[in-house]
Amino acid sequence: MNFDRAPSKPPSLPDRRARWRWGHGLLTVGIALGGIALGIGSAWWVLKSPWSAPSVQSGAWQTSTVAGSANADMYTRSRIAVGALLALSREETLYYVADRDDAGQPLRSACSYRIEGTPPPARWWSITAYADDFFLFANDAHRYSLNGGAARLDAQGRFALLSGPQDPNPPAAATPTHWLPTPGDRGLIFTLRLYNPDAALAAAPATLAPPSIRRVGACP
Amino acid sequence: MSRCWLRYVLALLAIAAATHVLVVWAIPRLIMQRVMRTTPADLGHPGATPRVYFPPMTDATQRRIVMPSPDLLYAICVFDVSQHPLRVTANPRLSNYWSVAGYADNSDNFFVVNDRQLAGQPLDLVLVGATGSVPSATLPQGARVLVAPSDKGLLLMRVLVSDYEAEKALLEPARRTLRCEPLP
Repeated sequence: MNFDRAPSKPPSLPDRRARWRWGHGLLTVGIALGGIALGIGSAWWVLKSPWSAPSVQSGAWQTSTVAGSANADMYTRSRIAVGALLALSREETLYYVADRDDAGQPLRSACSYRIEGTPPPARWWSITAYADDFFLFANDAHRYSLNGGAARLDAQGRFALLSGPQDPNPPAAATPTHWLPTPGDRGLIFTLRLYNPDAALAAAPATLAPPSIRRVGACP
Repeated sequence: MSRCWLRYVLALLAIAAATHVLVVWAIPRLIMQRVMRTTPADLGHPGATPRVYFPPMTDATQRRIVMPSPDLLYAICVFDVSQHPLRVTANPRLSNYWSVAGYADNSDNFFVVNDRQLAGQPLDLVLVGATGSVPSATLPQGARVLVAPSDKGLLLMRVLVSDYEAEKALLEPARRTLRCEPLP
């Protein structure tokens, strides 16, 4: 057998052109795919960022000033479609959302919270607990919210509600605080809805006297 | 060589920017399209108009539309006014809050009316597309003409609920007064 290798010849000009075309084609496809991935990723990141929509803050609560409106920019419209589809304009309904407590800590369903405040100036109001996928927490008691009709006010005219995986009320409590079950351990969002808010509040949503959100006990 | 790479980087950024804008613009339209396409008509309910969907009372099993309110009972009417105007009527006769809102195919809330604004009068309106019109001969007396910014979209009726089981006999017939019927 002859193990001698024949000396390699440099590629001919047509071969070099073909290789260059292949390389150039692959690079073009790579740039196109990379650009598309970068575009989708940046869109998703911007829509998930809290500063992407014009909003105002009141305590731990945040509300968009243009939700549902035809004046909404494309980022706000897209963000609302992802997290609050079919929202009404603020003259009809104000939606305040909280995903952090008063101390600035992210809300978790495994922790217990106490929400307290005075009834907001609106025809009707409610506070609802949502999981971080924007849907209700499944629970046997079918308790998902506290509304103005069901809220009991104390001598100072304040309402209170508790949330958490277990009912924190003592078993024999004469007047137990309204409890919203939040099973599991995942992100938690509270939404405060104000239907037909007073005109002054609709014009200046930051002036809301915000219900406080305080953690109760230790978090597992 | 460096000029060549600069061209590649600029091309990458241009494609990324175009994709970014397209995705942000398209998301509400795609989500609305999915909602409109998958909203069934409540054909099984006797006397119900087939153009309106009456979902069950909201609970944790409702996972079609994000952030559903557990204090509201809904009725949904998917519309397409590209061929014919749509007559929308409702007369729930409730003392509590109720409203009917219109949403364009890009999710904009272009219209809302509530019980207080109607002051006890029934809702009666004719919905037309941006390029459509209603011949005066076919316009029902007293009906208000409303121009939708898009030919397709949906109308959402909200009815406030305090205790569904206790109020069911009152609320169910009330929300079923929502009618969406094409005009000739």
